[in-house]
Amino acid sequence: MSVIVTRNLTKRYGRRVGIDGLDLSVPPGSVFGFLGPNGSGKTTTIRLILSLLRPSEGEAVVFGLDCWRHGRRIKADIGYVPGDLRLYSWMTARSALGVFGHIRGANLVRSGLDLADRFDLDVDVRVRNMSRGMRQKLGLLLAMVHWPRLLVLDEPTSGLDPLMQQTLYDELRERAASGATVFFSSHTLSEVEALCEHVAILRNGILVADEAVETLRARAPRQVALRWKEAGVPSELKTPEGLEIVERRGAEWRGTLDGHVMDFVRWSASLPLDDVTISEPDLEHVFQQFYLDEDGKA
Amino acid sequence: MNRGLLIKALREVWPVTLLCGVGVMAFEMLLPVVLASFEDQIAAQWFQVEFLQVFVRALLGSEMGDKIDIGMLRSIAWVHPVVLAMLWAHEITLCTRLPAGEVDRGTIDVLFGTPVSRWCAYICETVVWMVAGAVVIGMGLVGAWCGNLMASPESRPSVGQILVIVVNLYCLYLAVGGMALLISSLSDRRGRAVATAFGVVLASFFLNFLTQFWTPAKHISFLGIMNYYKPLLVLRKASWPVEDMTVLLSCGLVLWVAGGVIFNRRDVCTV
Repeated sequence: MSVIVTRNLTKRYGRRVGIDGLDLSVPPGSVFGFLGPNGSGKTTTIRLILSLLRPSEGEAVVFGLDCWRHGRRIKADIGYVPGDLRLYSWMTARSALGVFGHIRGANLVRSGLDLADRFDLDVDVRVRNMSRGMRQKLGLLLAMVHWPRLLVLDEPTSGLDPLMQQTLYDELRERAASGATVFFSSHTLSEVEALCEHVAILRNGILVADEAVETLRARAPRQVALRWKEAGVPSELKTPEGLEIVERRGAEWRGTLDGHVMDFVRWSASLPLDDVTISEPDLEHVFQQFYLDEDGKA
Repeated sequence: MNRGLLIKALREVWPVTLLCGVGVMAFEMLLPVVLASFEDQIAAQWFQVEFLQVFVRALLGSEMGDKIDIGMLRSIAWVHPVVLAMLWAHEITLCTRLPAGEVDRGTIDVLFGTPVSRWCAYICETVVWMVAGAVVIGMGLVGAWCGNLMASPESRPSVGQILVIVVNLYCLYLAVGGMALLISSLSDRRGRAVATAFGVVLASFFLNFLTQFWTPAKHISFLGIMNYYKPLLVLRKASWPVEDMTVLLSCGLVLWVAGGVIFNRRDVCTV
């Protein structure tokens, strides 16, 4: 059974549409990437899942329960980091663990201190004296400390240094491996590519893609470079299907390959070439294509 | 009710509650003492000025009669604008914390990422506001009692009389708080909610004041909450103002329920 299911989920703010007819299904134990440009409806979707917003139409279901009607029960098993994280200025990580432990009805101190140690967070500094990165670590700690079955993270790496980002990725992979589901909203394509098994892409409140990363990767074009032997540069060349030469600079040619690699390899082997370079599939290019509308505008 | 929410709310409201409580206590203790020491002079000179008579009558919501007495002076301490301003400032500050304050500072995302229902959060805030109000007014009562110790025994009002005034004042506190919670439930900006709530209580205060000068205002005087709080009458009649208290409590309850229903159904959006 999917952990998150949305059916025709729609949210309107007056005349403006936040999201329109969203149908989504997030499998359990996965790290699910949720992508889209600014204003595409990612945060609106998350707020609907967290029952902060009431759907105009359709429904959002988490753990088989309607989010709006059973918000309290659902959130017992959710950890949430908002995109624009704000915390109580008088709190320290230690006092926050006490207060949120009482709110959740569990003793979170020991597990919280372990997690704070992993995130290298000083638990006795007040929020008002914390840097942005420290506040983000505290937000992550409060979202993860009760070992939720679902983590809803809205741009969780903002403010974190690269080392801490890596620590977070490792932690999320471990959580997913132990059966938790991670719903990961981000602007950073590379981290979604590195972390997620499945991605959904929103544009203008509409779902434009919902596929496994491997499927997208198989469709992604590769950058190729050909270096001809001296005096071997042809004036005309019949290229295999999927190869488009975009730049010719003397003996150095560059292009994109949007087809089978082996066909290209066999074709290039028959040519008087000094060197051939084939890059990894360029997933970012695919994402960006989804971000653009019919007029090529973001 | 959620223990964590109560702890959080108490942690956040105790400084302002202590500050207002000490202010009200000091005022209730000192004003009657100061006024009593000038009782004869006030009766002979100040209250012969017609404007001052109207002003005090407007504050007390009752005719003063011919003679100024110590009871009247004591009741001024419970309707003085300084006391009302401190009480209203305290409760409007508390009652606009949720949802307006939490939405405004963006912390409601973290708060409602936890398994608490909106009704639960609303009730916890209400309990903290009511307890804090009881503490502030109770400190006023302690101040009045201390002030009484400094007065001559024959001029001391009975504890029962003071208690009736204090309970009536608490009913007024609940009515204003219910209104402030409703305004907070309708708002995303705390500053706007505070300004609106203060505007309403000030309008009510001035309506009560205006009825002493302007006859047409008497026709709508029932709309003002101060119409249901008359400490001088309590001291004179020495009985419980049951009707006034019922009106105040009913208003408070209706506004509180309306606020809760709206908060429970509204969108919570910090962006």
